[in-house]
Amino acid sequence: MVAQNFRHALFCAFITLIISYPILGLNLEARGVSITLTGAETQTYVGIALAVVIVFLFQLFRPAIMETLGQVKAINPMINREPMPQEKRVKFERFALILIVLGAMFWPFIASRGAVDLATLVLIYIILGLGLNVVVGLAGLLDLGYVAFYAVGAYTFGLLFQYYGFSFWMSLPIGALLAATFGFVLGFPVLRLRGDYLAIVTLGFGEIIRILLNNLTDLTNGPDGIGGIPDPTLFGMEFGRRVKIEGNTSFHEVFNIPYDSAHKVIFLYLITLILAVFTLLVIRRLIRMPVGRSWEALREDEIAARSLGLSRTAVKLSAFTIGAFFAGFAGTIFASKQGFISPESFVFLESAIVLAIVVLGGMGSQLGVILAAIAVTILPELAREFSEYRMLVFGAAMVLMMVWRPQGLLPMTRVHINLKKQEAGVTDHA
Amino acid sequence: MKIKLNKLVVGVGASLAVMAAGAANADIKIGIAGPMTGPVAQYGDMEFSGARMAIEQINANGGVMGEKLVAVEQDDVCDPKQAVTVANNMVNEGVRFVVGHLCSSSTQPASDIYEDEGVLMITPASTSPAITDRGYELVFRTIGLDSMQGPVAGNYIASLKPERVAVIHDKQQYGEGIASAVKSTLEDDGINVVMYEGITAGQKDFSSLVTKLKQANVDFVYYGGYHPELGLILRQAQQAGLDAQFMGPEGVGNKDINTIAGDAAEGLLVTLPPSFDQKAENQKLVKAFQDKGEDPSGPFVLTSYAAVQLIADGIEKADSKDPYEVAAALREGTFDTPIGEVQYDQSGDLKSFDFVVYKWHSDGSKTPVK
Amino acid sequence: MHDVMYFLQQLINGLTVGSAYALIAIGYTMVYGIIGMINFAHGEIYMIGAYVSLIVITGLAVTSPAWIPLVLLVALICAIIVSSSMGWAVERIAYRPVRGQHRLIPLISAIGMSIFLQNYVHLAQGSRNIGFPLLIEGGISLGGSGGGFQANLSYMQLTIFIVTLVCMTGLSLFISRSKTGRACRAVSQDLKMSSLLGIDTNRIIAATFVIGAALAAVAGLLLGMYYGSIDPLFGFIAGLKAFTAAVLGGIGSIPGAMLGGLVLGVAESFTSGYLSGEYKDVVSFGLLILILLFRPTGLLGKPEVEKI
Repeated sequence: MVAQNFRHALFCAFITLIISYPILGLNLEARGVSITLTGAETQTYVGIALAVVIVFLFQLFRPAIMETLGQVKAINPMINREPMPQEKRVKFERFALILIVLGAMFWPFIASRGAVDLATLVLIYIILGLGLNVVVGLAGLLDLGYVAFYAVGAYTFGLLFQYYGFSFWMSLPIGALLAATFGFVLGFPVLRLRGDYLAIVTLGFGEIIRILLNNLTDLTNGPDGIGGIPDPTLFGMEFGRRVKIEGNTSFHEVFNIPYDSAHKVIFLYLITLILAVFTLLVIRRLIRMPVGRSWEALREDEIAARSLGLSRTAVKLSAFTIGAFFAGFAGTIFASKQGFISPESFVFLESAIVLAIVVLGGMGSQLGVILAAIAVTILPELAREFSEYRMLVFGAAMVLMMVWRPQGLLPMTRVHINLKKQEAGVTDHA
Repeated sequence: MKIKLNKLVVGVGASLAVMAAGAANADIKIGIAGPMTGPVAQYGDMEFSGARMAIEQINANGGVMGEKLVAVEQDDVCDPKQAVTVANNMVNEGVRFVVGHLCSSSTQPASDIYEDEGVLMITPASTSPAITDRGYELVFRTIGLDSMQGPVAGNYIASLKPERVAVIHDKQQYGEGIASAVKSTLEDDGINVVMYEGITAGQKDFSSLVTKLKQANVDFVYYGGYHPELGLILRQAQQAGLDAQFMGPEGVGNKDINTIAGDAAEGLLVTLPPSFDQKAENQKLVKAFQDKGEDPSGPFVLTSYAAVQLIADGIEKADSKDPYEVAAALREGTFDTPIGEVQYDQSGDLKSFDFVVYKWHSDGSKTPVK
Repeated sequence: MHDVMYFLQQLINGLTVGSAYALIAIGYTMVYGIIGMINFAHGEIYMIGAYVSLIVITGLAVTSPAWIPLVLLVALICAIIVSSSMGWAVERIAYRPVRGQHRLIPLISAIGMSIFLQNYVHLAQGSRNIGFPLLIEGGISLGGSGGGFQANLSYMQLTIFIVTLVCMTGLSLFISRSKTGRACRAVSQDLKMSSLLGIDTNRIIAATFVIGAALAAVAGLLLGMYYGSIDPLFGFIAGLKAFTAAVLGGIGSIPGAMLGGLVLGVAESFTSGYLSGEYKDVVSFGLLILILLFRPTGLLGKPEVEKI
């Protein structure tokens, strides 16, 4: 046993050396017109050596370490705690949501301009997360091209503004409805595909939308994107220093206060907050309605659900369309916040981030999605000083979360009636 | 509710305190925005190296109005989306003067924000005319326009009398802008442009494009864009046996094109700003760069240096740190910078700026052809 | 004659890229066939293969042409070793612990791994495009002497065809003849049953990752040199393409991956040759969607029986 362990540990250490040394230790550098190989700094070599030693020791004493870790888990008082009773849990969740919304309302008055700006982004991701949660978390449809609907919403506003001078308030419903239409039209043919095939088709669709936006240069301005998208107005009052669109008035002139660029940021934040709360409430209602129940029924057991008379297409299509609707919503706000959109904003990574939010939050759980959206958006910003490493850490965190806590931060539990206890009946061929 | 109110008061107090601390700190923040990473980070290096040197030297000479310049550096990866984030960060950090951005497609959306928020910006590298033609008050540049560079390239091509010309671009503001300027100059000169096509930046496989060029039997190819793509096109064209003369704008004039294209880069024609580092009056400055182990010969090093210097001179001349007054001062005055005597017109463009045609060599050197 | 040659040239271009896609696609298809997950990090393994081979080629600094075959061989072997180790480690760290979970979990883990590896190379090697020296120069002109358009088959393209052919033949033999190959097939048919029959399934799964990674490394060297430059992001899009190829041919089927790769490569080449280069990606993804809608098992995939 010990000898085997030793050999395994040696092997792992060797692999560590192989995968780290050539990439980290030997750097390709362009010197003049040729490429040369330079060694890395000493600390890199020390780091590699350290990693090798740590892997070796960890693998050598793996059983002992695991046992100790197990004990730590046993010490943790949370681990053996009884799950919260259902009524209490529902109350707790409602309380937490109200608290978050109240806190969010006061946020712009205590935080700096940059923090409010960031909070707006968090809210946009919350809307996206809640929308995708319907598709992935509730209906169990794996959508890897969610960003396409986000792009549809954003470009609808961008183009309507550019060609017809539409304002934010006119474009918001149009963008969301158009995104929903896209979802509906795309959903018809693809929703009969199952599982991974659906994932691939949606991924392909997302890429096609982006490439089209990039190449239809005459319409969308190609990779240069669309700029000068206006901010939302308040009853025809603009928040910029100067009025850009004829017929509007300026907020600071109407109220006779000195111009402050923070007004604009705060106003946008509040609008986004209202829309996020709207999204939250609508979806919360939908979950409790028959349509929401049928999403979950279909996710849990398609055959059983169909034999009970549920129309597979109608149920899936409703989830897909509603998800797309809220993505269009978020897209319009995003366009307004940035004032500029280009195809680069709608790459696959964006879909992956939203999906990560849903999964990290605990699929189906709304509170979880909100917390995950906050975490996923703010953590990289907090790590600005290590900005070089933030995507590295983000990727690693995604892997580690899946390994250690695949059920997410706050796994969803349904409001249900307890019947006789039964084994969870998930059979998997793996 | 009471607790929340208390918190609110504390919060407001804290932010006021932070603001006060910020005001007490009397440095002048100069934002430098450009690509530190990404495919065209080489040009960013030039920009940062030039701007840092200017800040260093100005501070060594006692700063501006007795205050030191402090650099706030941000990376926009030459991506329009990140440029917007960077511009917002600059505003959030209280920067009032920005040198940047580099790529035209980044500068354009960022300039919207700067103009809106009252930040003065001078781009040392963006040549797209669209940036300054919107009547903005606070947008300047220390480089010429595509509308100046395009005709230089187009007329030079016409003087070579090629029979069939292809114009290729990367669909970005800079590349397509200059490509269309070249194309219209060529058509005015009666040259036969047989192909005008876009590629996607970041693409690697150009074999189909090269085959197309070969079939169209072109003898001259103008490419509007940056070096990573042109390098690959040159190399794949050589491999496929396409025999044509290639030409590009200053975005391809970089030694990295040699590492990609190898000897296929020999003889490439490039329009560049004149080599300011060869000017006699700049030799002291060139020496300072060389002492730091940096290379001042890149096309954007001294334009960035000049951008910082113009901000400093503008502040001195206006005797104010208000961007609007500095902008007015810049429009009025004449300034002596390493890129020559600078005068601005009403739109924020230089009154005169030359582009020169160079021949690029496989050892990374260049020789003027006219 | 003119048009025939043009057609031939575009066909050669397409087949070249297509064979490289096929090499990468093997990794997707084998992993999917066995554990039913999309290994999103596979494109990154390919990219790492390209980097390692460039590092070795630069380090050995070729001076005389006589050494080129040897240098290429050393580069290839090093790239295969590093990429395979990476494939093994990725499986061990990111996929094995989550195997058997809800199918979204491994997917997210794979996407995380992909982001991690991209940035790992980005941090270590910088984000610039680095030129990849062309060590196999020259070519053969086909047809059309005097004037006219001449199709050109470069030795580099020829090398890509031959290496792909050798790898594919080797893999087919390995899968059909060797003991491990037989075990692979058994595991892909029924993982639980084969483990009951005494096959070390963990080992077999690791082996598929290692084989896939090795072939991706070969593709990395070949395509890196063929295109002319590499950067840390170029694995992702190639990975998507290869994955498309795998699905096109019928995911889980090895001959399918080869066919899918070639079809995709040719389709792309003809799109850029006869329509416009801008739409080649639209065509490849559009093709993917159409195939999935009308023939969800791909060109060569076995029809799937819905188990109840």
